[in-house]
Amino acid sequence: MIKNFVEFDNVYKRYKMGEVTITAADGVTFSINEGEFAVVVGLSGAGKTTVLNILGGIDSCDEGRIMVGGKDISHLNKRELASYRRYDIGFVFQFYNLVPNLTAKENVELATQICRDSIDADTVLDSVGLSERKNNFPSQLSGGEQQRVSIARALAKKPKLLLCDEPTGALDYNTGKNILKLLQTKCIEDGMTVVLITHNSAITPMANRVINMRSGKVISNVVNHNPLPIEKIEW
Amino acid sequence: MKKQGKKSLRKNIIREILNTKSRFLSILAIIGISVGFYTGLRSSSPSMMETARQYYGDHHLADISLVSTVGFDDEDIQTIKKTDCVKEIMPAYTADLIVSQKNVDSVVRVHSLPQKTKTNTNVMNELMLLEGHLPVKDDECVVESYYMKYGYKIGDVIKFSEKTEKTDTNDILKHQEYKIVGIIDSPLYVTYQRGSTTVGNGSVLFYMMIKPEEFKSERYTNLYVRTRASDSKVSDFSDEYAAMVEEDLKTIKSISGECINRFNATTLADAQKELSDAKKEYADKKKETQTKLTDGEKKLADGEYELFEKITAGRQKLSDGKRELDDAKAKLAKGQKEYSDKLTEAKRKLTESQMLYADAQNQYNNAKTDYDTQIAQAQSKLNAAQTEYNNQYTIFYSSTKPNAETKLLLMKTAIDTCSDVLNKTRDEIEKLKNVELLTDDIQKQLDEQNAKLNEYQKKIDEYQIQYSDGQKQLAEGEQQLADAKQRLDDAQTEFQEQKANGALQLADAQNQLNDANAQLENGKLEYESAMTTGMLELQAAQTKITEGEKELESGLKELEKQEKTGLETIKLSREKLIQGKYEANTKLSEAEEKLIDAEDKIEMLKNAKWYVNDRDNNPGYSGLTEDANRVDNIAVVFPVFFVIVAALVCLTTMSRMVEERRTEIGTLKALGYSSFDICSKYFVYAFLAASLGSIIGGTIGVLTLPYIIVSTYGIMYMLPETVLVISWQSFVVSSLAGILCTCAVAVISCFRELTLAPATLMRPKAPKPGKRILLEHIPFIWKHMNFTSKVTARNLFRYKARFLMTVIGVAGCTALIIAGFGLKDSITVIAGRQFGELTKYNQIYALSEAETADKKSYLMSQFRKDDRFSNVLLVYQDWTNVYADKKEDRLEIHMVIGENQHEFEQMFILRNRQTHQKISLSDDGAVISERLAEVFGIKVGDVLNFTVDEEYYQCKISGITENYASNYLYMTEKYYQQITENRLRYNMIFTMTNDQYKDMESDIANEWMKNKDIVTVSLISDQVDAIEDTLESLNFIVFVMIFCAGLLAVVVLYNLTNINIAERTREIATIKVLGFYDLETANYVYRENIVLTLVGGAVGLLLGSLFTDFIMDSLQMDMVMFPKVVEPASYLYGFLLTFAFSMLVNFIMYFKMNKISMVESLKSVD
Repeated sequence: MIKNFVEFDNVYKRYKMGEVTITAADGVTFSINEGEFAVVVGLSGAGKTTVLNILGGIDSCDEGRIMVGGKDISHLNKRELASYRRYDIGFVFQFYNLVPNLTAKENVELATQICRDSIDADTVLDSVGLSERKNNFPSQLSGGEQQRVSIARALAKKPKLLLCDEPTGALDYNTGKNILKLLQTKCIEDGMTVVLITHNSAITPMANRVINMRSGKVISNVVNHNPLPIEKIEW
Repeated sequence: MKKQGKKSLRKNIIREILNTKSRFLSILAIIGISVGFYTGLRSSSPSMMETARQYYGDHHLADISLVSTVGFDDEDIQTIKKTDCVKEIMPAYTADLIVSQKNVDSVVRVHSLPQKTKTNTNVMNELMLLEGHLPVKDDECVVESYYMKYGYKIGDVIKFSEKTEKTDTNDILKHQEYKIVGIIDSPLYVTYQRGSTTVGNGSVLFYMMIKPEEFKSERYTNLYVRTRASDSKVSDFSDEYAAMVEEDLKTIKSISGECINRFNATTLADAQKELSDAKKEYADKKKETQTKLTDGEKKLADGEYELFEKITAGRQKLSDGKRELDDAKAKLAKGQKEYSDKLTEAKRKLTESQMLYADAQNQYNNAKTDYDTQIAQAQSKLNAAQTEYNNQYTIFYSSTKPNAETKLLLMKTAIDTCSDVLNKTRDEIEKLKNVELLTDDIQKQLDEQNAKLNEYQKKIDEYQIQYSDGQKQLAEGEQQLADAKQRLDDAQTEFQEQKANGALQLADAQNQLNDANAQLENGKLEYESAMTTGMLELQAAQTKITEGEKELESGLKELEKQEKTGLETIKLSREKLIQGKYEANTKLSEAEEKLIDAEDKIEMLKNAKWYVNDRDNNPGYSGLTEDANRVDNIAVVFPVFFVIVAALVCLTTMSRMVEERRTEIGTLKALGYSSFDICSKYFVYAFLAASLGSIIGGTIGVLTLPYIIVSTYGIMYMLPETVLVISWQSFVVSSLAGILCTCAVAVISCFRELTLAPATLMRPKAPKPGKRILLEHIPFIWKHMNFTSKVTARNLFRYKARFLMTVIGVAGCTALIIAGFGLKDSITVIAGRQFGELTKYNQIYALSEAETADKKSYLMSQFRKDDRFSNVLLVYQDWTNVYADKKEDRLEIHMVIGENQHEFEQMFILRNRQTHQKISLSDDGAVISERLAEVFGIKVGDVLNFTVDEEYYQCKISGITENYASNYLYMTEKYYQQITENRLRYNMIFTMTNDQYKDMESDIANEWMKNKDIVTVSLISDQVDAIEDTLESLNFIVFVMIFCAGLLAVVVLYNLTNINIAERTREIATIKVLGFYDLETANYVYRENIVLTLVGGAVGLLLGSLFTDFIMDSLQMDMVMFPKVVEPASYLYGFLLTFAFSMLVNFIMYFKMNKISMVESLKSVD
């Protein structure tokens, strides 16, 4: 296990909206160890999505340094960022973002076809419990199933880091729980480092690490030595 | 509340437009292009017509022009003026003359300058002065601007050649040279067609104008009339105008009879009287001349006879002298022979005696030598014998004899001794014998003594023999010596005798020899004297003969001289006679020709005829109307693509827009806005886009296309600056179509959404579900496709309207480009096919019409001798008017008749265009060119009307041949004569140049031009060059078409890509998050474009071929058939250019796609 696998060091991000400048990340500093299940929690507008975007190579920071697996990603150019996303990051979206014109399996393959080392689409779909629905189009799948496809697609790339943006936001309680369970399993069983952002602080007990944000600042970074299994958590 | 709401709605609309600029612009652009294109094209034709109309109006172009075979006089003018339809009338002169410049003869049409008439202030057919001034002095002229392109300028002088067919230029104009002082254009000529002529090569190269006073003719050649038609305000191209002019034509035609009758009564009658007088005079003169000639001929014959006699006598004398001389010569020869014979004999004899003498001498010499030798030998033998004898003598007496004597003595002694012994012995024996008791001893002794005695006795006998032998030998020796002495003496004696004998004989011989020598000397002397005498005699004879010969020769010379002089005198007089004859004949034939001319003239005057023509007869006038219609034809069909595509673009764009605004519609509906209010946003959006597009596009279209097209046609027409006439009707129709289409789509899709409950609307519309497509059921293909391809395939089949729109748009683009290039291809091959493949001749020599048939065949034989020509054909080629069933449809075409069928087939390839099957000319039908058949709707077996010298004839069509430029009527001489009963006058020689002389064509032409029987030469290569120059202008049309095609492709593909990107922002953002690189992302989207471009391009290839055909059909002219040829390269260009346009759109959209933020992917579905 590598300590400080992910490291944010005094990261700033400012958006200019006309004449107004919004500081979305205001000197964010935190670190996450390898294999941890980290939850970034905060209210809407606390800057957690900004942090996730910067971490996922989707957005860039204005100031500060971000290290992922010993690599500084804060000064990568466009193409290097794309490679970073391609090989190091798995992204799970709130709204699944599946390509409607591709079946579940094809959506997974969409990710695997661009990777050097990937998990076979069938295997990964089996592992998220979707063996039966591989050949369905997204419109033929339920929300939970779609999210599973989305997770499968992220995992298939064998990423170093799995980033999840409110993965349960569009799902009902039970489905959401199943999804979280899947993520926790992947973290524990496969040693995957997972960073999950949510506004729902009720699920924080399942995490190894809880990072609390408010107004673009990290207000606490707590390590939970005894994370609970998701079944034990109710909200 | 409502007001407020409306205000919000208005704001909403404005913001919507600003936020979706590209969508708004794409609707605006496609509508703009369609409207602009349509309106612009439809305005082109009226603009062209109006330009022409104004030009005609401003320059007061005559409505009717009159030409008469006999010209007009003032009385004619007065008569015509009396009719109410005529407003103005202007008399004018025209003459076709030949100018020779740069070694090429060409025909110029000389017009009189338009003049003001007394009644009107306007000058009819008023000129457009481009440079310089109108002629002031008599010998000044103005020349049309077109001609100036040949490199002439103001200040140059135009000089007419003196010979122009039958007439002398001097008889027509007052000057032979005119200085160019100005450059003009006349409304009489709006195209570059200058019309045909009976002069030179049959076509007018340019026209010029001089003062009317310069024409010598008393009668006007032309009358120009303006009628009420052009004074009324109807358009010159309208049917009303045509009807009015038609009526006026009839009126004027009806009075022509009256005028002609008057002419016949006056001018013609005078001319006829003059003619008959001239005829009489001619006959008298002819008789007189003939008498004179006969006298001259008789005198000449007498002189000839006299000379003949004189010469004959001289000849006789000479031949006598010659004979005598010959005799003498023969004698001399004989003498010479005798002389030489004798001489030879003498010489032979002399030689013989010489030889005999030499022999004798020889013999003598030999004998002498023998004698000397024998004497010497005998002497030496004698001497040797003497010596021998002496030796033997000496030896015998000095040694042999004494020796032998000594021996003999010795032997005598021995004998004596022995005899003593013997005796003694005998004694003893006796003694012993005496002792009787002979004892043994004593007996022994006695025997011994007895033996001894015997022995001695023997010895003595031997010695005795030897001694006698010796003695004998000695005696013999002595005897021998004596013998020898005897012999020697004998020999000596003999020798002396012999010697004396020999000497005697020799002396005799010597004497004989001397005698012979003396004889020989005598003979020699005799011979020499004989030789000298003979020689002298002979020489004398020779001298005599030489003298005789000399005499003879001089006699001959004298005779020859006399003969020559005599002959010369006769020759001279004969020449004089011939000369006189020729002169007389020439004079006579000239007079005759004049008479014939006069007769012809009268014949012409007799059949006086007026030709009354409207403007359609004006070269180019009708062409302009046709061309304008042609533009209009294309204008109707051309924008079809644009309209279809515009509709599809609007459909996809607007429905997409309404779909995107679903939630908003739902919200507004939930808020309680009426359907009308909600829809109004989309309606206004659509209306604004479409109407703005219409206005902008219409304006641009109208301001550019008519100018482009009219100026493109302007290459063929000489028109002033374009007058713009906007086709409002087209603008309104196309704009309305565009606006209605767009708005209808907007409203319909909006209402379709509005039928749903607000709640449904507010929920995000389930994205159009992914569907399995047909392709997936072919696993072989499907499995080999990657995801991008799969997505592309599924997308393509998901949005059928877009698919259709893009394919049609792209196909239209390809088709347009192919049509553009195809147009160029087709027109470009005309020149090559026509001149080279179908007609093979390279040069046309126009013959002087006055030439007789004999002269022509002589000229032909000269042409045939020139080996720079591979083929030569005597041809009759002239313009003829052909008519369809009704006499209104008229075409002026070439009639071609070849003298020799074989050569004709070498130069004119008559064949079926499709099958290339040869068509042969027969004596019972004519062959016409394909375009003529097409225009008149004639089939093989039909009948065609044509005119020769204004007479109508009919011919049967036996074949239709491939032909592109101009129209032709081919027939055989036999058929021509059969139907017209006219004698055919061949007027041209067509030649084919041998390949190796192709570069020297103009030199060859110039060389032949020196022949006075050849009037003009035209080179086919010049024509080809001219055609190719005109075709250059096509490049511009091709460019315009490619430009439009590009616009079409860009608009359609931009729209498609735009919608695609808008619709799939989320998808694109997602795959970017997944780590797709920029190019991979672009490829993900573009593949659809590329596939659609390929499909559209492929469809366009088919469409292009059809479209080219269509355009060619609309462009067809009466005079030209366009071959429908599209080169493979053109298809390739069409396809590649379309692809390039597609790539251009992709390139533009690349940046737009790059701007898509990945953060979009995180947003919720709206």
